[in-house]
Amino acid sequence: MTTQASTLSPPFNRTLTEPRAIRWILSGLALAFLAMFLLVPLVAVFVQALEKGLAPYWTAIVEPDALAAIRLTLIAAAFSVPLNLVFGIAAAWAITKFKFRGKAVLITLIDLPFSVSPVISGLIYVLLFGLQGWMGPWLAEHDIQMIFAVPGIVLATIFVTFPFVARELIPLMQSQGTEEEEAALVLGASGWQIFFRVTLPNVIWGVLYGVILCNARAMGEFGAVSVVSGHIRGLTNTLPLHVEILYNEYNFVAAFAVASLLALLAIFTLVAKALLEKKVRHQVKSITREIGVE
Amino acid sequence: MGIQIQNITKTFGAYTALDRIDLDVPSGELVALLGPSGSGKTTLLRVIAGLETPDAGAIHFDGEEATRRHVRKRGVGFVFQHYALFRHMTVFDNIAFGLTVKPRGERPGKEKLRERVTELLHLIQLDTMADRYPAQLSGGQRQRVALARALATEPKVLLLDEPFGALDAKVRQELRRWLRKLHDEIHVTSVFVTHDQEEALEVADRVVVMNRAKVEQVGTPEEIYEHPANPFVFNFLGNVNLFHCRGTAGDDHAGAIAGPLGANRDSIGYVRPSDIRIRRSAETADDIAAEVILVQGAGVLPRIELKRLDTDEIVQAELPRDQYRKLGLKTGEKVFIHPTNVRVFEPDFQI
Repeated sequence: MTTQASTLSPPFNRTLTEPRAIRWILSGLALAFLAMFLLVPLVAVFVQALEKGLAPYWTAIVEPDALAAIRLTLIAAAFSVPLNLVFGIAAAWAITKFKFRGKAVLITLIDLPFSVSPVISGLIYVLLFGLQGWMGPWLAEHDIQMIFAVPGIVLATIFVTFPFVARELIPLMQSQGTEEEEAALVLGASGWQIFFRVTLPNVIWGVLYGVILCNARAMGEFGAVSVVSGHIRGLTNTLPLHVEILYNEYNFVAAFAVASLLALLAIFTLVAKALLEKKVRHQVKSITREIGVE
Repeated sequence: MGIQIQNITKTFGAYTALDRIDLDVPSGELVALLGPSGSGKTTLLRVIAGLETPDAGAIHFDGEEATRRHVRKRGVGFVFQHYALFRHMTVFDNIAFGLTVKPRGERPGKEKLRERVTELLHLIQLDTMADRYPAQLSGGQRQRVALARALATEPKVLLLDEPFGALDAKVRQELRRWLRKLHDEIHVTSVFVTHDQEEALEVADRVVVMNRAKVEQVGTPEEIYEHPANPFVFNFLGNVNLFHCRGTAGDDHAGAIAGPLGANRDSIGYVRPSDIRIRRSAETADDIAAEVILVQGAGVLPRIELKRLDTDEIVQAELPRDQYRKLGLKTGEKVFIHPTNVRVFEPDFQI
């Protein structure tokens, strides 16, 4: 009966599609826009970096200050990504699988770093831990340096990348509901068993997706880190800050060489994201299929 | 294991889902909780499982207090309405789950586990599907996997929430019969929730009719069907025609019929469509003239809709097939109807 109906109605592609010319113009516009604002700058980074050949490019990257910046960036990511991974999973699990008071407040708080300018995020830590800040004198007394040092950079990075994992997981876990967890509970599984054997496997691709985004932001963060770093070469410079310094010194080849590292990270992130998106969609789809009636 | 439910009350905010429920589920029986949606039947099932905590009242398993016992320690099997199979696990792993999460000491060895799961796969007739994922199964197959998973840990009570709700009519029929057969083989105390009266009457040893957070009647399918305790149960178990009954004073409502013994002018007579006789000519003074307005010849019992000529009320009748053929009714025809088996219920002493 359905086939009959579809032959009677006009083929939908004719009614829903614009004329060829308009389609070409619109697609062309979109592509031109994309090329101008994304592709050309990306290519420009590599062109500028390799302008004087491979040797200067390589020197700029293995130079001690650049290596220190790379190391610091990796340290910041190494702290913030695992911490936010644990926090994000815990928050998403609490929000989606349990009922409790103050849930709405928690969701709003998780979003806070997204809604605040990164510069403000950095400033908060200066106000808290700086010499003139609330805890500054106490910290100074105990010889702990937070601001213009590695701990401040790590803290600022954690703050800025706080929402990524949780934000990615909450909708996914909400769509999955709690029936499977209840089933596991009745079957005798403990809380940890339920989490590791039922909840986590169901959202694992979403977790990886969140981690990738979180990592990209952690390594690329400029504003917040810039405020707390103090820009001490070889000590408190992360990759983005190092690029800025080199650029301000008119050392374009070195600036772009270091920038190309970040660009490579971006490309890797995009590819990983595209691959994972497919998997996440598949996870969501398998839920709807399971509940649907044949 | 027998379940004794005493005075259970459960509210969700301002909404009362269970209102002082008392119920006894004898050991080894297959009991249906039957009622319209919102009657509290699923909540009662979840309270028995321990997935909801009652606000008041007590649950005993074989006389042993279990109201506060943790879900994990209750030893119940639960089959969810949408099966809730673990979608990232194969059928085999789904069924094995309950055994693999047991504490180290009680966990069966690899060989034992394989044996038990294979046995269950055989029981649900899905021997060849062990390596499939839930998404690759049909609805009926998923339902059976869910059942096997619940049975794997040898629960003392099996609870099923609308077990056949999401399946098409044919599969439903088959699974119903299969569940009944299964229960006759393993004799585990089972409680299932349904809103389908036919399902409850066909499968269960005992039916609990629920409405608005209360139990209306408990009995065997036959008792419930033959002797409904009140108008709600009567109504819920099938279609019904209402008639005013005749009193003795002669001031009857229009179109009143002769009621059973004890009926007065305010009694309402309940008559099932299958208890309406249709004839071409009046045989008694009680026969009511009516016009056929709709004939539905398909189905097990052909259904006739008639309009009373005196009060214009609609009456539904069902005829056995042979009689339907003999009568050969057509729309617009004038016939006589005669209600038999008229039932009246004592009015509630509530205003």
